[in-house]
Amino acid sequence: MLAYVLRRAAYGVLVVLGVLLLLFVLFFQIASPDDVARRALGEKALPEVIEQWKANHGYDRPLWPWQDFSNNMLFEHYRSMLTFDFGRSDADDVVITERLRQGVGPSLALTLPLFVAGISVGIVLSLFVAFFRETYIDRVGVWLCVLGMSVSILLYIMGGQLVIAQWLRWFPISGFDPDPSVVGRFLALPLVIAVLSGVGGDVRFYRTVFLEETNRDYVRTARAKGAGEIRIMARHVLRNALIPILTRVVVAIPFLFMGSLLLESFFGIPGLGSITVDAINGNDFSTLRTMVFIGALLFIVGQIATDVSYALVDPRVRFS
Amino acid sequence: MEPHVISNVVVVLVLLAGFGIAAFVRRNRMWNDALRELWRRRPVAIVVVAIYAGVALLDSAAWMGGVESGEDVVAAHEAKSVLDRLFLGTQEKSYSAPFADAEFYGGADLAHPGSHPFGTDILGRDVLYLTLKGARVALLIGGLTSLIAIPLALLLGVSAGYFGGRLDDAVFFLISTLASIPGLLLLIALIMVMGQSTFSVCIALGVTSWVGLSRVTRGETLKLRELDYVKAARALGVSQLRILVRHILPNLMHLVIITFVLMFSGLVLSEAILSWLGIGVDGSWGQMIDQARDELTRSPIIWWNILASGTALFGLLLAVNFVGDALRDILDPRTLRDQP
Amino acid sequence: MDAWVRGWAAALGLAVAACSNNPYPDADTSRKILYTNYNEAPRTLDPATAYTTSAHAITGNVYDTLLEYHYLKRPYELIPGLAEEVPRAEPQPDGSVVYRFRLRPDLLYQDDPAFALGGEGRSTRQIVAADVAHELMRIGDPAVNSPVIEPFSNIVGFRAFSQSLAERREADPAFAAKPPVEQYAGVGGIEGVRVRGERELEIVLANPYPQILYWFAMPFTTPVPWEAVAYYDGEEGRPHFSDRPVASGPFVLEEYHKQARMVLEANPNWYGVRHPEWQAPGATYPSEGAEGDAEAGLLDPALMGRPLPFLERIEFRREKESIPAFQKFLQGYYDASGIIRESFDTVIREDRLSPEMEELGVRLEKSVIPAVYYLGFNMDDPVVGRAGGERARKLRQAMSLAIDAEEWLRLFTNGRGVPAQSLLPPGLYGYDADYENPYRRVDLERARALLAEAGFPDGIDPQTGKPLQLTFDTPDTSAQGKLRYSFYVNAWRKLGIDVRLEATNYNQFQEKVRNGAYQIFPWGWVADYPDPENFYFLLWSEMARTRNQGPNTANFSDPGFDERFLAMKARENDPERLRLIQEMRAILEEERPWIELFHPEDYALFHGWLRGVKPAGISNPTSKYRDLAPALRAEERAAWNQPVIWPAFALAFLAVAVALPGVVTFFRERQ
Repeated sequence: MLAYVLRRAAYGVLVVLGVLLLLFVLFFQIASPDDVARRALGEKALPEVIEQWKANHGYDRPLWPWQDFSNNMLFEHYRSMLTFDFGRSDADDVVITERLRQGVGPSLALTLPLFVAGISVGIVLSLFVAFFRETYIDRVGVWLCVLGMSVSILLYIMGGQLVIAQWLRWFPISGFDPDPSVVGRFLALPLVIAVLSGVGGDVRFYRTVFLEETNRDYVRTARAKGAGEIRIMARHVLRNALIPILTRVVVAIPFLFMGSLLLESFFGIPGLGSITVDAINGNDFSTLRTMVFIGALLFIVGQIATDVSYALVDPRVRFS
Repeated sequence: MEPHVISNVVVVLVLLAGFGIAAFVRRNRMWNDALRELWRRRPVAIVVVAIYAGVALLDSAAWMGGVESGEDVVAAHEAKSVLDRLFLGTQEKSYSAPFADAEFYGGADLAHPGSHPFGTDILGRDVLYLTLKGARVALLIGGLTSLIAIPLALLLGVSAGYFGGRLDDAVFFLISTLASIPGLLLLIALIMVMGQSTFSVCIALGVTSWVGLSRVTRGETLKLRELDYVKAARALGVSQLRILVRHILPNLMHLVIITFVLMFSGLVLSEAILSWLGIGVDGSWGQMIDQARDELTRSPIIWWNILASGTALFGLLLAVNFVGDALRDILDPRTLRDQP
Repeated sequence: MDAWVRGWAAALGLAVAACSNNPYPDADTSRKILYTNYNEAPRTLDPATAYTTSAHAITGNVYDTLLEYHYLKRPYELIPGLAEEVPRAEPQPDGSVVYRFRLRPDLLYQDDPAFALGGEGRSTRQIVAADVAHELMRIGDPAVNSPVIEPFSNIVGFRAFSQSLAERREADPAFAAKPPVEQYAGVGGIEGVRVRGERELEIVLANPYPQILYWFAMPFTTPVPWEAVAYYDGEEGRPHFSDRPVASGPFVLEEYHKQARMVLEANPNWYGVRHPEWQAPGATYPSEGAEGDAEAGLLDPALMGRPLPFLERIEFRREKESIPAFQKFLQGYYDASGIIRESFDTVIREDRLSPEMEELGVRLEKSVIPAVYYLGFNMDDPVVGRAGGERARKLRQAMSLAIDAEEWLRLFTNGRGVPAQSLLPPGLYGYDADYENPYRRVDLERARALLAEAGFPDGIDPQTGKPLQLTFDTPDTSAQGKLRYSFYVNAWRKLGIDVRLEATNYNQFQEKVRNGAYQIFPWGWVADYPDPENFYFLLWSEMARTRNQGPNTANFSDPGFDERFLAMKARENDPERLRLIQEMRAILEEERPWIELFHPEDYALFHGWLRGVKPAGISNPTSKYRDLAPALRAEERAAWNQPVIWPAFALAFLAVAVALPGVVTFFRERQ
C-alpha cells in the first residue's frame, strides 16, 4: 500500500513539474519580461527604470539553463513556485502571497458552503427523482435538468441579481464583509445562484448512477427480503454509489475554483477568483501564473487523494 | 485570399462532406440503424440543429456586388452573405421595441416600422439579424475547435494506446499535465499570451478540450489492441498503419462523435464566459448577452436584446444536449458515462 | 482561517433568521460614516506618482497641500492650505521668478511607527518646509518615475538635479545603495528650492510660469517625511510607501484592502482638529460661495464657519459593476452616486429629477467637467498625417464633418455633455461659447466634396480601386466598448471610408502607440488645473508621443502653433494671451489633428441626509466639507428595504403541487 501511495505521489510531483514548465513557456518565453515591465510601468518609463524594475522582480536573468546554468529564470521560476514564494505582482508590486492570504478567506467562505450545499442538494434531488423512476416526476425532472444545463451561467447570475436582490430585496445585490453579523447576507445570493446553475448536471449524473445501482442483484435481494424501498435507497444504493460520486466531486474541485471566478467578480467578493479576474484585466502576469499554478496544484492533490482512497477500498487498483 | 472566398470554399466542403457522410451511412448498417433510431427518438431536436446549421450556411455563402448603396457607402464594396442580403436596409437610428413603429426613446418614426420582430439595438441594428448571424459564430467556434482538437486527440490517443511503451508514457504525462490545469484558467492564459482573435480563441479551446477525448480513445485503443481479430491481423503480418486505419479507427468513431457533440455545448458556454471577460469572439451570442447586460436595468427595461441572444444560445444548446444524450444511449451506453 | 469558518457558520444561522439586504454591520447605522464606492483600486498612493482620479480620492484627503481651491467659489480661486498665505510672484532682474511659501506653525503628521526612525519612541513630528523640498526632489528622482517632471522643470536646477542623481548612481554603486534622502543631499538638492528654517520655502523659477501655483494645490507637492519613505520599503512585512500614506491631511488611511475596501478615519493630529481657533480657510466651512450655492443649500448656517472635518469615517467599498452600485444608492446604502446610463430615464425626466427620485429626497447637482474627449489622428502616419500634405488635411477635414457628437451623446450618455467646438471646455479662460468650428458640424455633402478634392472620390482609394482603408485603434475590448466605437466607424462608412475597428486591450494599445503604429485613436483629457495651457500643451510638439513620450498622442507638430503656445504659457490672463489662444484655435481648426467630440457633464446624485456637497471639478480634498444626518438615513433605509417574501412560499407551493400527485399515485400503486 505504502509503495502505491509513494508511486502515485511521485507521479503527482512529476505532473506538477510539467505544469510549471508549461507555465514557464507561456509566461516567459511567449510573453517576454520586457513586455511585462513596460506594461507595468507605462510607456513613459526610461530604459534604466525598466532595467531596475526587472531586477527588482528577478526578471533580468537569461531564460534557459543552457544560457547560464547557475543564474537563469527557469530554475528561479521553479524555486519560487515550489517554495510558495511568489514574489511581487507585476501590476502594483504587492506581495502575491499576501494577496492570496487576503483572498483565501472570502473564497473559502463562499466555496465551502457551496461545495456542501451543491452536493447535498444534488444527491437529495437525484435520490428523489430516482426513487420515482419511470413516473412523470422522473421525466419532468430530467427535462428540467437538461433545460438548466443549457443556460449560460451569465444568465443565471444576471437573472438572480435582478429578481432576488433588486425586485424582492432579500439580500444585498453584491458586496462582502467578513464581519460575522453580516457575512451570511452577502453569501446567500451567490450560493443560491451557484447551486441552481449546477444542479441540473449533477442531478442528471447522480440519477444515472443511482438507477444503475438499483438494477443490481444485491438490491433485488434486499427487496426480496422485504426491505422497504426508502431503506434500500438510503442504506444500499447511496452507499454503493459513493465511488462514482466521489470521482465527480474531485473533478469538480478546480471547477469550483473557476465557478467562483465569475461569481466573485459579479458579487464583489474579494476572493481568489476576483483576484484572478483583476489580474486578467490588469495584465498582471505574475499573479495570473500563480493562480493557474495553485489551481493545478489543488487539482493534482485532490486527484492523488481520490486515487489513494480508491486503493484503500479496492485492492485491485494498487496493482494495475 | 479574400475572406468571403475562403468562407465559400468552406461551405462547399461542408456540403460535400455532408453528402459523403450520407452516402457512407446509407451503406453502413450500424450507422444507418443508429441514425434511424436517433431520428425516431429526437426528431424535434434534430430539426432544430439542422435549422441552426442552415442559417449558419446561409450566412457563410457570400459574394460581391448587387447591393444598393444606401447610407452605408462602403457596404456596396463588400461581400455580403445570403443572410446579409435578406436584412439589407433594415438599419434604424437606435433602440426600438419588437414590431414597434417608433423609436423607443424619443419616439421618432422608424424607417421601417413594424418590421423588426426582435426590435433593434442601440445602434439601430435589427436584433433578429444579429441573432441569426450568431449561429455562424457558434458553429464556427464548435467546428474550428473540433478540427483542431479531434485530429490531435486521435493521433496522440490512438498511437499511445496502440504502441504503448515510452510513447504511451509521454502522451499520458502530457494528458495528465494539461488535464490538471483548470480549463478556464488555461484558456485565459493562452488567449492572453497569444492575443485576442477568433482564431486564437479556437486554438485555445482546442488545446484545452482535446485532452478528454484523447484519454477516452487511448483507453479504448488499449482494449481494441487485445481483441482477437486485431491480434490475428498482426500475426498475419498486416502493416501497423493498415491495422490502425482498418480496425482501430472505425471502432473509435462513435466515441469521437459522441464526445464532440457533448463537448459542443461546453465550448459555446465557455465562449460566453470569455466574452464577458472581454476576450471572446466578435458577433457571438456571448458578446450580445454581455452587451445587453446593462440594458436589463434600463427603465423602461430593454429586454428584447438579451431575450433574443439568450434564447438562441439556449435553443441550440438544448437541442444539442438532447441529441448528444440520445446518441450516447444508442451508440455507447457504458464507456462514456463518467465523462462530465 | 478558523475565524472564517466559525464566522460563516454563525452567520448562516443569522442570515436565515434575519433576511436583510443591509450590507453594513447594524452597529454602524448611527455613526457619521460616509459610504461611497470605487471600481479599481489605485495602482499607487505615492503622491509623487499617483495621477488618477481614483488615487486622488485617497491622496487628496490624506495628504494636505500648501495651497487649495476655495470649495464653493467659481471660477476656481486658490486659498492657503498648509501655507499661511498664497504667495505672489516676485520677478527678479535676471528674468527668474521667486515664490515664498511660509508654513503654519505646529503642524503634525499622523501617528505612525515610521517616525521612530527619527528618534527612539517618537510617533509623530512637525511638518517642516524641508519635507516639501524632499517631495520635490522625489519628483525629480528618475527612479521614482513621476509623471509630472515637465512642469517642475521650470524650477532652476531641477533637470540638473535629476541628471546628476542619475550620473552619480551610474558611476558609484556605493552611492546608489544609500537611502534616497542621503543621495539627494549628496548631489546638493535642487538649486531653485531653498529651505529657510523650519517654515520657509523659496521656489525659484528660471522663467515666468504662473501656473506653478496650481501644482502646489495638487497632492504631488505635499510634504512627505523622509522617515515614511525609508521605513515603508516593502521589506520584512512592512508595506510599500505606495500603499501606506502617512497623513498630513484631515483623514488617515485606516484600512487598505484593495480588493474589497478602503477606510479613511478623521485624523486627530490634523491642524484643523488641534487648532480650530485659527479659523484657517482650509479647515473651516466657507461662508461665501458662488452663484446658486445658497439655493443648493450649500450656504447653510448650520455648516458655515464650523471647523472641519464633519465625518468620522469614510468607507470606500469596491463595486466592479456599475448596476449593483447604483441599486445600492437607490436602497440608501451609498450616500452619493453618479448616474449610470442605464438608469438615466428612471432618474431624470426632461432634464430634472423624476418625481420618484424627488419622493426619495434625492438631490441632483450638474456640472461640466473640465475635460475634452476627442478622436485623434496620428500625424506621423503617411496616409492621414503630415506626410500626406494637403490631401491628408482634406481627408481629416472630411472625416471631422461626418461625426455627430451630439447624436453620440444622445445614444450613449443620454445627452450628458456639451458637444465640443474646440479643445477648451467651458469655464476656462479663452473658452468662447459663441465660437463655431466650421468642421465640427455634420455636413456630408461638403465632406464628400473635400474627400473628392483629397483624391478619394466616394471614398475610393485610386491605388486599390476599393474604399480607402484606415484603422481605428481603441483601448477597449469590452462588448460595450465596441458598440460605442462602432458609431464612429458607421459614420465614416457613410463617406465610403472603410475604417476597421481594432480593439486591443489597454497595454497592447500602449504598445502600438509607442511604436507609432496607429492611425486614428480615441482619447480624453481631464484638466489638472483651470488654465488653457493645460489643454493646449497636449498639441505642443515637445510633448509628442512617439518621439518624446509626451501626452501629444496625435504627434502634432506645427512651428506657428509652438511659438504661440510658448508665448501664451508665460503670460497671465490678458488680451494678448486671449489673442494667442484664438490664433492657436484657428490653426487647429484648419489642421484637424483632433476631431473634438464633447466636454462631459457630471450629474451627481445625493441623498437628502448628505449636506455640503458641491461637484469637485478639479479640486481634491473635498470630503472634509461633507456632513450627514445618520438618524434620518437609518429611517429612510428601513422604509425602503422591506423584503418581498411571498414568492418564496409561492414557489414552494408550486413544487409540492406538481410533485404531490405523482408521489400519491406511486405509493397507492405500490400498496
